[in-house]
Parts: sequence; structure tokens; C-alpha cells
Amino acid sequence: MAAGRAFVGIDAGSTAAKLVRFDGRRVVRSRMVPARDWHSLVGTVRPREAVCTTGYFRRKVPHHLTLTEISAARLGVARSFPDAEVIIDLGGQDTKVTDLRNLTLQMNDRCSAGTGAFLEQAARYFGMSVEGLSRMAERARDRVDINSTCSVFAQSEMISMLERGARREEVAAGLHHALARRIAELVPDAERIVAIGGVARNRSMLFALGAILGRRLRVPPEPQMVNALGAALHAVAHSSQS
Amino acid sequence: MAGITALVPPELIYAAGWRPLDINNWIPGSDARPRSKLCAWTASWREAILGGELKLDALVVVAGGDCHNALADGQVAARNVGRTHYFFYPFDGDAGYMEGQLRALEGFLGEGLRGERAHDRAMRALEEVAAAKRLGLRLEALRSAGRADPGSTFDALISFSDLEGDPARFGGKVERLIDASRDFRGTEGPGVALIGVPPIYRDFHRACAEAGLRVVFDELPYEFLRLGGHDLRSLARSYSTYTFARPVEFRLGLLKRELSRRKVRGIIHYAQFTCHHLLEDGLLREELDLPMLTVQGDLPGRTPAQVRLRLEAFGELLGAGKGAI
Repeated sequence: MAAGRAFVGIDAGSTAAKLVRFDGRRVVRSRMVPARDWHSLVGTVRPREAVCTTGYFRRKVPHHLTLTEISAARLGVARSFPDAEVIIDLGGQDTKVTDLRNLTLQMNDRCSAGTGAFLEQAARYFGMSVEGLSRMAERARDRVDINSTCSVFAQSEMISMLERGARREEVAAGLHHALARRIAELVPDAERIVAIGGVARNRSMLFALGAILGRRLRVPPEPQMVNALGAALHAVAHSSQS
Repeated sequence: MAGITALVPPELIYAAGWRPLDINNWIPGSDARPRSKLCAWTASWREAILGGELKLDALVVVAGGDCHNALADGQVAARNVGRTHYFFYPFDGDAGYMEGQLRALEGFLGEGLRGERAHDRAMRALEEVAAAKRLGLRLEALRSAGRADPGSTFDALISFSDLEGDPARFGGKVERLIDASRDFRGTEGPGVALIGVPPIYRDFHRACAEAGLRVVFDELPYEFLRLGGHDLRSLARSYSTYTFARPVEFRLGLLKRELSRRKVRGIIHYAQFTCHHLLEDGLLREELDLPMLTVQGDLPGRTPAQVRLRLEAFGELLGAGKGAI
């Protein structure tokens, strides 16, 4: 590895772009911008830095190396949880589950019902942020059951429940539970499950998913930056090989 | 021209003086968008038959041993075909039952392996199909050994359900692929098996290769090649072992043997969106004990970006190519 050289991981995802700068020992900078502003991250890269990209638009971003977000997640998670068995990457547009014990993958990208977009849609209805929706769900003493597996129908169900007098907090809790139930279908039984991605910052979501799986989910610091970190670590590994 | 909705012994159809047409084989190359569908495979041929794009003299619907989507869409499509026959594979592998089914099919087609007049033609047809299948097995072995292009090999193997309407000419085509394999530079990457129904995407094998995955086994086309016979009884014995029509344990037996023989390192399980075969996914994962990627396809066309991402990630996980970690 070149002395003093920094390694940059850029996760060009569908809703946000993230950059992690790693000096070979620790993260020295991390930054997240909306997906459309990924150019601004590239502008911060210095000439001698090795750049590894990941994420949906990884090939559009100038890079020396690239790898899929599934592999980036594996590398990034290993830094905080080297004994992880299963990774759940809770993204804005899809959910990816990797079983590290047998290297199998499952993804839910066919519709938004198993993704962060489901909560965004509901939050918009309530006129609040996704974080606000999560906090509202935390205040619930009970939750309503949302049975629709389609996010559009779930929203209709949610509206009719509110009209029938259900409390907003209980509906918010029901929405988190419905999303968690959908995601849980993809998750194999394991002791050590790690949740990453933007939705892993959502406490109500983690609570609901943990309750359904019967496990306490592990979450690394800055879960939304894990894939960018994994990409930077891949650049480090590649540099030491070459 | 006799349309077939799934595997129906082509030996018998040719022997009876008919040309079989696997009505699935045109779909990946098309941009079919059927109006009302569960499975795009069956709905696409149903629409094509009803719309008159596929003109058939007869239709043989595999009613036992294929899915209920095929049975339902087959019955709807049958309204625009002069004659329809329903063909049943034995779930329990009873060769006597299979022979009865072959006799019924023979009766539907008019002439078969019996009768003085038909005898010479039937024997010639049986030999032509058998010769083509021998060539197919050679090509398949070359591909499994990394000495033939997986994409063009798959395109040929999948056509063994109907031998493109002319077994002798089709055999020549396969022979040319074998000859061309001498110039093939070989493929790299972990050997993977493609199991389940064939992908509806026309460039799926190319997408696998681009992801660093080397397909060394295609389950269903291998079944098309593996089965055969030289008379009604031997055809019945052979086709009664068609794994897709048998209990999943029977299918697992063949899969375990073939995956081990080819030193497969990973499995791609392909299923159609809404396909009942997806329900077998957990069982296959449990029993086959190899890394497995499940891919769900829907409408025909090029392999979508999300599916390519999965293939690429699977390649990385198996240690293929530049992204190997």
C-alpha cells in the first residue's frame, strides 16, 4: 500500500450517493448527498486517491475499481461485525439479503412494498419525514394490522383505517410492521443478523423486524455508509495485492 | 405442424409423419406482452395462437407433468386449433402408464410406429432424432468441459424439444457447432448450473458470462437430450423418468449426480414470476447444499439490470473475475 495514500469508496445508490475516505486505518471523512448530486462527491476526490465505486450507478461514476453493493456490504459489515451470518441491506428502492454462511442472495425489487419507498410514500401522506413517521410509531401503544402486500393498496387501507377512527400512531406502527413482515420473508434463520442501509436508521423498523425475526438486529455506526466503506476497503485490498 | 406446450417425445411425433413445434421457443426472441397472464411463457403462446400468429394443425398440451398455467392457457388456445390432445406423464414413473399415453398420442397423430406403410419412415425418423441427440450430448459435454460457448450451446440444446422441425438438418447444425468449438478459446470463472425452467431472457447466458459465471449445466435442455428410445416400449421407459414430471426427490437425485459430476460451484435457480416452481426453492437450497441464486423472470426481452446485478454479485461471491473478494 502506498504510504499516505487515501482510498475512496463511493456508493452511487438510487436515492443517495455516499462517499467514504479511508486512510488505510480509519475513516477520515464520510459524506452523503442526494443521488442526483453524485458529481459533487467526485469533485472532492484528489489525484492520487484510489476510487472504488458501488451501487446502482457505480459504472457511471469515474472509478479505478468497481464492485456490486452486495460484495461492498459484505466487506463493510466485516469491519464492525466479522462474525455476521446474514446481512439485510434496507435500501430506498430494494432490499437485499445475503446469507454469508452459504453465499446466497435474495432481493426484493419487484415492487416497493418491501423497500424504504413504502415508508416514504406513507410519510408523504402524513406530511412528515420518514424519521417523523418512525418517531410517531414509537409512541403507539398498539398497532393496526395492514394486510395488503402492495404499497398502493396498503395506503388505501391506511386511509380507510384513519377514517374509521384508528390513531395515527397505531397506523404508523402498523405500516412499519407491514414492511418488516415483507422483508422478514427474505431473511433466513440466523443468530447474527446485521442491518445496514438508510432504512436501518429507522428505530421503529428495526423494532418491528427484530420482533418478527425473534432476534436483536445488529446495526453498525452509520449504516447507510457501510457500502461506501466496503468499496473503500476493496480499494485498499486491491492496492495491497497490486 | 403439431404444437407442443412442453416436452412431448419428438421421436413419436416425427415417426408419425408430423413436425413438432415447441411453441415456447420463439418467445425469448420476441417482445410479447400478453394481456392477461400469470406466466408469460404460457400466456405468450396462448395469445399468439388465438391471434393467429402461430398457426398449428394440431396442439398437444402437456396436461400432467407441466404446470396448471399451461393446462389452462392450453385449453383457451385450443379454441383456435383444429385438434387438441392432452398428454399426461406419470407422476409415479409407471412405464406402463407412459406407454399407454404414447399409444394414445400415436392414435391422435394418426400413424405411429406400427403399420407396414409407416414402418420405414418411422424407423428413419427415430434414427435421425437419436443421431441428433448423440451429437447434442457431445456438444453438451464439450460445453461442460469449457470447450464450447455456453450461450450458443444453450440455444442449440433448448431446441432439442422439437429439433427445429427437421432432425437431420438440425443434427447438421449441431455438428457445425461442435466443429466450431475447436476454435473456442475457453471460458473462465466458476462453473455454475442453471436449474429450473429456461430463462425467458434471450441473452441470459451472455449476461452470466459477463458476470464471470460459466454455465456448465442447463437442467431442462439436458432432459431433452437425455431421453429417447428406439421403439414404443423403450421410449416409454425413458420418458417415464422425465424429472420435471416426477416428485421433487426424484429430480433432486438427478441434479445431485449431475452437479457433482460437473464440479459445479454454484447454482442459479430460475423461475417465472408466479411460478409454482418457486415454492420448491427452499427445498432445493436445503438439499443441494451449494450457493444458490434465485432469479425470477417475467416478460421476455433482454436480461434486466436488476437481474444482471444479481448475477454479477453472485459471481463476486463465488470469486469470479476482477471483482472477486
